[in-house]
Amino acid sequence: MKNSFLRFLFAAAGLLVAGCATYPDEATTRQIAEKMVFEAFSASPAHLKRLEQDRSQQICSKVGNANLSTEEAAEVVKLARDSIKYPASGQIVGDWKTGDILAHDGAGDRIRDGKTENRKVNGALCQNCHGLAPGEINVGNVGPALTGYGKQRGNSEAIAKYTYDKIYNAWAFFPCSNMPRLGATGHLTQEQVAHMVAYLIDPQSPINK
Amino acid sequence: MNTRLGIWAAAMAALQLAVIPPVFAQSGDPLAVGRKMLIEDNPGELWIDQGQSLFYEKRGPKKVSLEQCDFGMGPGKLEGAAARLPRYFADTDRVEDLETRLLTCMTRLQGFDRNELLKTAISAPASKGSDIEALALFITSRSNGMKVNVSLNHQKEYEMYKAGEYLFYRRSGQTDFGCVQCHGEQGKRIRLQDLVHMTSKAGAQEVSSTWPAYRGSHYVVRTMQWRLNDCVWQMRLPDLKYATEYSIALTTFLNRQGNDAVIQVPGFKR
Repeated sequence: MKNSFLRFLFAAAGLLVAGCATYPDEATTRQIAEKMVFEAFSASPAHLKRLEQDRSQQICSKVGNANLSTEEAAEVVKLARDSIKYPASGQIVGDWKTGDILAHDGAGDRIRDGKTENRKVNGALCQNCHGLAPGEINVGNVGPALTGYGKQRGNSEAIAKYTYDKIYNAWAFFPCSNMPRLGATGHLTQEQVAHMVAYLIDPQSPINK
Repeated sequence: MNTRLGIWAAAMAALQLAVIPPVFAQSGDPLAVGRKMLIEDNPGELWIDQGQSLFYEKRGPKKVSLEQCDFGMGPGKLEGAAARLPRYFADTDRVEDLETRLLTCMTRLQGFDRNELLKTAISAPASKGSDIEALALFITSRSNGMKVNVSLNHQKEYEMYKAGEYLFYRRSGQTDFGCVQCHGEQGKRIRLQDLVHMTSKAGAQEVSSTWPAYRGSHYVVRTMQWRLNDCVWQMRLPDLKYATEYSIALTTFLNRQGNDAVIQVPGFKR
């Protein structure tokens, strides 16, 4: 008797919970999920920093890829423009041969068992997502193909500067695009970005053959 | 069994070297043909028997089997249980995915040390695999032919789902990656690797119905926890711990999106 009464109580409570259960609001979801992020990784304080979002990343993390407001887009663009720095030498067109190697290098700065990859420089990751020189097969297509990039655009100073800025921080032109802000986040150095510019616009580069 | 595995490993390696057809399949992946052939005779099947033995064997400090473990359908009831995971469990007062639930039972029922289990949960490539990998596959295989049916009833299930959705779009780190940067569009590849389009129903269904899977390039069965772990590594994030709320949230989101897919494990991955 007592047992069945208890069962009834549990069932009623269950119904009540089911009846009230619903999606949490945005702020609650954010709070729950952000807590998960900071509990999920084992890492040194330096590595944990990678989990923190900067202002632009926060804006660019909209659920369902919802559209940015005009103000948000403008803020991301402004932050991106302000982030761009140039090599101390002033040379924004480096060495295309070095750029070619970097374009095909997808490694660098990954963390396993608390250790970052033991490499002198990070790869530029281009091959992962972009078509490169004509005939190259092992290339991704998440981004547009860059085949013939310089052939189509030339190698004027204006194109060099646009290309440098685009690689350094793509969000200066396309706020929140999938393209990593390779220079601004420190994945590539300013000199490396200059090598990528050369690889893309130099008429001798295999990408323009 | 080891010999059979060895033969498979050798066959796989030979295929990966030899099969590069001049004309690519639609996917653009030159290994697609060889992979399709292998799916029909998936070496991962070998892990099912291993998982079954582990499940019914009296193991751990308490010398009991996992038959009293409740995966949501009642103690020891495995048919269709994995199809409904992740879900809320009253005895732990949390939402658990398959691997988290296994950890719960292996520690509570069998008395295994949680930290020891965590150390070996993800096996080395070309090894015999871990107990958890084999158990996860065996248990999921008991839902083969059934439809994924992750339901949201409990408040914590709603929260888990929404958190997973949020995390799917959350960008961070020096590559500015969230999940959606690679898995948000149809027909995309990283180099030659096809990317699952997880924001489509079909893509989410592929995720929800094919793990655990035999990973050809590792010669072992891999689980969803491993998959997330490897993604996070490529995203330049730190080491993802095993069986965290973060992984359960993403799995809840993806599996729920992938409802109604017919489970067929082991899946087969490159």
